[in-house]
Amino acid sequence: MKDKRLSAVDMLYEEPGPKAKRATAIATTISLILVALLLFYVIRLFYVNGQLQPKFWSFFTKWTTWRFLGKGLIGTIEAALAAGVLTFCIGFLFMVGRICPYRVIRAVATVLVEFTRGVPTLLFIYFFFLVIPQAGIKLNTFWRIALPVAISASGVVAEVLRSGVNAVPAGQKEAALSLGMRPSHVFLKVVFPQAIRYVIPALISELVIVVKDTTFAYVVNFPDLMQNAKVLVSNYDSMLPVYLVVAVIYILINYTLNQISAAAGRRRVRAGAPKVQNTQTV
Amino acid sequence: MSLSELLSEFGEQYLQAMFTTWKLTVLAFSIAFVLGIVITVMRISPVKPLRIVGNLYVQIFRNIPGAALLIFLVYALPYLNVVLSYFIAVLTTASLIPAAFCSEYLMAGINTIDAGQIEAARSLGLTFSQMVRRVVIPQALRSVVLQLTNLMVATMLTTAIASQVPLKPRDLTGLVAYINTHAVGGITAFFISAALYFATAIVIGQVGSFIDRKVRILR
Repeated sequence: MKDKRLSAVDMLYEEPGPKAKRATAIATTISLILVALLLFYVIRLFYVNGQLQPKFWSFFTKWTTWRFLGKGLIGTIEAALAAGVLTFCIGFLFMVGRICPYRVIRAVATVLVEFTRGVPTLLFIYFFFLVIPQAGIKLNTFWRIALPVAISASGVVAEVLRSGVNAVPAGQKEAALSLGMRPSHVFLKVVFPQAIRYVIPALISELVIVVKDTTFAYVVNFPDLMQNAKVLVSNYDSMLPVYLVVAVIYILINYTLNQISAAAGRRRVRAGAPKVQNTQTV
Repeated sequence: MSLSELLSEFGEQYLQAMFTTWKLTVLAFSIAFVLGIVITVMRISPVKPLRIVGNLYVQIFRNIPGAALLIFLVYALPYLNVVLSYFIAVLTTASLIPAAFCSEYLMAGINTIDAGQIEAARSLGLTFSQMVRRVVIPQALRSVVLQLTNLMVATMLTTAIASQVPLKPRDLTGLVAYINTHAVGGITAFFISAALYFATAIVIGQVGSFIDRKVRILR
């Protein structure tokens, strides 16, 4: 059923009178001029400093440039997917630990979840890059970026999964138990499959964080989009255009992921699923 | 290196690093908070160009990776004759991105406000700006304290990008990288920084839930 009630945002202004109409029109004009001025200023800044010269941009018409960036993009996608799968597995273990009936396991899982949520990804990356080799363990550059990114996102994923599990109606569990299923079966076959559906939108937007964190791949020299951009910069001596284009590519990828997540969320709402808070942050 | 060796050699630097991280976190979060409110007001205003700019800002800065933004500010902007100090560049990165998220939370907060509130404000003859200042924003803020608390922790985590530029004094992450490339700091050096981040996150979380209990509007 569709909610017909207007939200607060819709209510803020409706049917303006002649005075309000005029005020809005004036404000619109002024803000349009300001935006245009800002745009003009930025373009002028580019022009005055010679950044619009074709030599800084022409290599973007070359096929090899895009193939090289594309290779980097594939590196980014591979690292993000591997980290995404890993983070889901670790997050699942943490979540099971947090709802485990044994208090000791619960406490350990809680500390681990809070720890991964309170420590920056870069610190984990430096840990895998600088400290792990000191212990004599050799990892290739792929895992040096995928593992720390996965660990640092796992705490949030655990909390997302747990909120999904908590949103499953208690009657489901009770019914399954009264059918004589073992508690572990009840969880794996009845509760978790429903929980995962509730949190799919949140999990997709979690992927955005993973993609963002893989940009640190240049720290460990893994050839992702950012690292390949750096190579392009030194090849063509064109810093500004390359970083601008790469930033736009990242924004488009993450924007698409967020749109997919929002669409999945709307589908869940239409299907009548309970609302699960989307905890995605920076 | 043992803990005591590390602390005697780098103890003071850890203290400095902690203050750098705290300073960046508090400053960045304050800027993000104010900017987030401004962007939100733009996004709900009746002026279409402002709405578009506000929405564009949010889509750009919630989706750009911190590393990409920082590298752009530090290495690409000088080509436009805009030279930022390392500190300002890190601070800008760590404020612009959380500001977009702040605005997203506030928009969600505004949507929890009952339409009757707006109707009441309108029938009292409040102008749009009065309504926003006295009815909408205060209530939205009170309902998003927990999200803003998480955002402050996330802002702290974002300030770790300071380790990507030669910032002096170093932040907590930069110091670990420094110690481990100049001496064998090992796992202990890592855990001191991690513990300081962790402790700060817990304090922020506790203060946040205290404020939340005080101001939350029960519906």
